[in-house]
Amino acid sequence: MNNWKMREIVVMSVLSVVFAVVYLAFLPVGKLLVGFFGPIGYDLIFGIWFIVSIIAAYIIRKPGAAFLSETIAAIIEVMLGNAVGPMLIVSGMIQGLGAEAVFATTRYRLYNVWVLMGAGMGSALFSFVWGYFISGYAALATSYVTAMFIARMVSGAVIAGLLGKALSDALAKTGVLYNFALGKEHRRNKHGAA
Amino acid sequence: MNLQELNPSVKAITLIVAVFLLAFVFDPITPLLFSLGIITITFLFGHVSFKRWALYFIPFFIIAFGFFWTTLVFSDSSNHSGRLIEAGFLTFPLEGFQVAVSLALRVLGFALLSLLFILTTNKTDFLLSLMQQLKLSPKIAYGVLAGYRFLPLMLTELKTIRMAHRIRGVHRGRGISGRVRELKRYVIPLLASAIRKAERTAVAMESKGFTGSRQRTFYRTMNVSYKDWVFLGMVLALYGISVYASVSWGYFEWYNGQL
Repeated sequence: MNNWKMREIVVMSVLSVVFAVVYLAFLPVGKLLVGFFGPIGYDLIFGIWFIVSIIAAYIIRKPGAAFLSETIAAIIEVMLGNAVGPMLIVSGMIQGLGAEAVFATTRYRLYNVWVLMGAGMGSALFSFVWGYFISGYAALATSYVTAMFIARMVSGAVIAGLLGKALSDALAKTGVLYNFALGKEHRRNKHGAA
Repeated sequence: MNLQELNPSVKAITLIVAVFLLAFVFDPITPLLFSLGIITITFLFGHVSFKRWALYFIPFFIIAFGFFWTTLVFSDSSNHSGRLIEAGFLTFPLEGFQVAVSLALRVLGFALLSLLFILTTNKTDFLLSLMQQLKLSPKIAYGVLAGYRFLPLMLTELKTIRMAHRIRGVHRGRGISGRVRELKRYVIPLLASAIRKAERTAVAMESKGFTGSRQRTFYRTMNVSYKDWVFLGMVLALYGISVYASVSWGYFEWYNGQL
């Protein structure tokens, strides 16, 4: 925590706040899908709930960004008082750890599209194991659980990985990330091309 | 006892422990009794408005129903005894039916625990307690509090952006695809201005001497008292009673390595 600048922490918190609201907005969508398709309904759009890990890690590029941002987003969701309780913080930490693990294997040096998609899948994997235990997927047929798993992995890679990268790059273009790792990289690329 | 007076961290941990304990049970009676107990505790000690509680609770029936029917249709059939349940012209294996009811009730039980927490806990107290009892770093905690205060500002910002678009002749999108395009126009400006504000806030915090050190004092201290342990004991006892009743009625089923 000591090599973090205050501005990085506050910006990470603000990103977490924004996406906590987005996360909450997607809960009813998920509920409706679960009502129709069963638990797999969540898996189709699960990637949206990992997106802040990818964005924060991609922008700030420091150890802990993925884990902390997802944890903070979960704390904010609880604070906003929607009907998701303190248990959500544990889920958020587990999802964040999934993405963090992938970034850690690159020693926080590589942030290309494959790593970002991999991080989304890391969150998907961790959250699936967790959900398997806590929601009792053990009682479901293996084929159904497999379908859920595949849906969640794809969702993690596409929604969290690709959409997260696209959003961050669009933000970098506006110039507000001037003081952050991603903004610096964008500037370098621009000068390199010119 | 008053649930509002409990220490938020201890309350949260108690509920998380309860969720873990519930996750090991695969019979319908235990979660049913436990849920009824939690409802009783919520209203006996919580001073919770029934209307607000019901408003939050009802949507969970949709999820519970989704879990119910999929578990029924896609249940793991390897350990079924062949006894059947008839419902009109449909027949289900008895074990599958019991597990389906159990998982649906588990969803409702989780929801009840969450409601008990969020309807009786002050947000700032929760964060202060995370910092004082669970040693959350003050840098993060105050960052979160600052970010949390941004929400109403961002709502104003959204209105401003929307008006600015309209005055330049860009109108609201029609239909779902129009809405998505509208959203795309708002997301980046909103995030960009939030990041700018966050940077300014960080500079302001540092210039006023905020170091984020853990050796700091608090204007409001959060304490843990005997009441918190009474609450923990109460929830654990409730779980024990539910399990005991379920066992003595012959329904009880523990997680036994089903994969």
